[in-house]
Amino acid sequence: MASETNEAEVDVLGDEIADLEEQIAATKKQLKIQASTIIASIPSQSLVKESSRSRSKTNKKLLKGLQGQEAHQQQCLYRICNPVTAFKVHDPDPNAVDRGHVLGLRFEVMSRSQFLKPYYVMLNRPYSKSSALRIHRHTLPSAIPLAGLAARHLPPPKPEDENPPSQDLDQFVRTLRREIMRYHNRLGISADLRRALGLHQITEGDTGPTSIVEVGIADIEAKQIKLTWADERNGRLVMDDDGKVTKFSIFGVDGRDWETTKSLFDRPQRIEEVVEKLRQSSTS
Amino acid sequence: MAASIVASKCNQGTSNRCPSNGDGPARFLSRGCPEAFQVFPKLIGTKAHYGEDESAFPNSTPFLRARTSEEEEEEEDDDEDSEDIYPPARTIEDLRQLYEDMRQQKGSKRDVVSRILEGDWRHGLTLYQLAMADFAYLDEHPTSQKWNAYQILPLQKPSHTEDEQLLKVDKESLQAPRFHPSTFLQNLQDQVLPDVKAHYHFHRLQEFPLLLLRIFVIDSPYNSALALSSLDQSGTVTNFDASRTIYLAFPDGSPSLYTTKSQGTGSAGTGESKSLQNLIIDGVPKALSRPMERYTVKSTSITTRNLAALLDMKGPGRGNAAGGGWSIYADEKNKQSPLDAILPTPPGSREQSASTSSRKRGAPLTQSQRDRKRARAAAQSRFGDSASISDGKGIERFEVVLQDPFPATSRNRTALEANQEEVSEDGEAQSRPNHRRSKVESVLQQAVQDIDDVDDVNEVDTSFSHWTPMLKVTFSGPHVFAGIRQLVEAGIIDGKRMPGWMTGEETVTKGAVQRGRIRGQKGSGL
Repeated sequence: MASETNEAEVDVLGDEIADLEEQIAATKKQLKIQASTIIASIPSQSLVKESSRSRSKTNKKLLKGLQGQEAHQQQCLYRICNPVTAFKVHDPDPNAVDRGHVLGLRFEVMSRSQFLKPYYVMLNRPYSKSSALRIHRHTLPSAIPLAGLAARHLPPPKPEDENPPSQDLDQFVRTLRREIMRYHNRLGISADLRRALGLHQITEGDTGPTSIVEVGIADIEAKQIKLTWADERNGRLVMDDDGKVTKFSIFGVDGRDWETTKSLFDRPQRIEEVVEKLRQSSTS
Repeated sequence: MAASIVASKCNQGTSNRCPSNGDGPARFLSRGCPEAFQVFPKLIGTKAHYGEDESAFPNSTPFLRARTSEEEEEEEDDDEDSEDIYPPARTIEDLRQLYEDMRQQKGSKRDVVSRILEGDWRHGLTLYQLAMADFAYLDEHPTSQKWNAYQILPLQKPSHTEDEQLLKVDKESLQAPRFHPSTFLQNLQDQVLPDVKAHYHFHRLQEFPLLLLRIFVIDSPYNSALALSSLDQSGTVTNFDASRTIYLAFPDGSPSLYTTKSQGTGSAGTGESKSLQNLIIDGVPKALSRPMERYTVKSTSITTRNLAALLDMKGPGRGNAAGGGWSIYADEKNKQSPLDAILPTPPGSREQSASTSSRKRGAPLTQSQRDRKRARAAAQSRFGDSASISDGKGIERFEVVLQDPFPATSRNRTALEANQEEVSEDGEAQSRPNHRRSKVESVLQQAVQDIDDVDDVNEVDTSFSHWTPMLKVTFSGPHVFAGIRQLVEAGIIDGKRMPGWMTGEETVTKGAVQRGRIRGQKGSGL
């Protein structure tokens, strides 16, 4: 009997501790937000700067925090306004080329009005006689043809040549960003289609023979979309770089299904239009 | 019977049966199913609808009692085949129940295997079933195979004016190869020589996002079931022993290819299996290519047993060219939206480790504590969040050939210089163990192939001014880089002076080190 009450007490206490820990975490987060808001406000900034003459320890700390916050805010502002931002990295490798100086490029990507984890490209200068750049590290997915773009816009210098090939970092960044955006838009299209058809959550029952039951990306670059209907028809949709549907075919149990293909895709058109038609045909 | 089979170009049919009295299938099963009772649903086929007629799954029909016997006589018939150790079941449902019972009773593996071979599949197991048994094994032991990674690269379009047969890699191409399993398989079958008879099977592993192709090669020109019988007419040669299994894996969303070394069930020369592997590897780029779109495969100096690590280093994610400390940029969890105004806490700062913060008001740290803290911070700065022992991405072997001259101190410099010529000559003439030597050379050869820029070649000529012995370092263990990280954290390796290749940031498992960097790999190797 006593042990039972003890156990109950332990449970209650455990719950209470978990609650309190949650509260602590929430309060700490709140404190951080408040602190950064206060220190970012203009009156408090001027206050801190005025009192910077006094060399007390807390003042120094405040000033340091202020500087950090200012730098961070500037960086955030640049990141919000500009899809590509540059920064400096130090390569920790003691044998790194060019004393570890690395130029970092940050490519912002967005999805459903949210900032995603940006992609990074790091460049260094490994060549002894020229200041040409070379890609050092990157976090791009394999679908983006970084190697090809680098070979086009950042060719390595050749010492035997009289006039070395010129590198165009600006053009490289532009085309690379374009490729990244295209890739993300293509990914977004198939995700949108899946959401429009209600395939992102498992629903059972209400599937007629003409409804689409599966939407998948069929290749590395996300240029092909694989469709499966409830009556075991299969479809494949191919789009080009700019999101124009170039090919579309549906195979049924007894050969090609020309009728549905025609009704969904009769002339070259944008992928969005085809997706809208697919949605209508699937829900009707 | 023997006269009716002819050599043909077709491949081994899925439903061809291997006689169960040979030891080939037994070897497969006893390896393929550590939990042999679980293999039953796999043997019967995953898509089969139980209870329907057996013709629905011709690839895996078990031996059942004939249906012709009258229903009323069933009970009396029970002792009819009493001499049969494994009386055949009446329906597939019965059989399923039987294996389920055996599973619950925890019967021994040998019992189950012998029941499968001598009872329910006494008329032989099909190649399909052998493939399923192999995949069952691979699902449970994903590290049982050693994988080599290859990169799929586009080739330049051949020009009509030149007659050159040698095609170059098109470095400026923006195309990614497109992989379509059935087309690929069709083309591959055309490429493989007609005297090799193989059985192909596609499979998806449960845990990893990749498509596996199992190629089971039988050394026989015939594609009938007789080719699989363990005894041929002369009664001596066993074809099954000469069979080989090779896996090809195509990761989703990445232009790479993983292969395993071919594995035989019997004993055959290593040279033969190597040539078979080369044959397959040669066929792969041709099978991937299409008119006006040619591809080649290039080895990437990554060899590991761990598929998760392989997918991390040559897969669809962000980590392909950002290993080691650079992985903080590839980490998906750490988002850092610019709309978030809170100053991010740098990794390793005091606020992050809240549990130790209580100590800061206490007694000042002792020297050893401070050293440990510094070592841990150094490890964090070099490895980032990578190379933790529990991330499951451990490679088990990392080999480098060091080509840097030995550091010359003032004391030994004169001696070294005097010795130098002698030693370098010795190095050539000395009779080293042959296989060791060849391994070192293969790594070097690979490194030379990797070098693509002229600047690097110039460096090579100037650096041999000091004593440079042929030195190869091999790290091995369950998770090599996590081990190095732990050594750094323990203060045994100086985290600041440690060369970059020891952090695993180059994403290779073998290479040649020159000037402290992996050669040809100045960066991501693009």
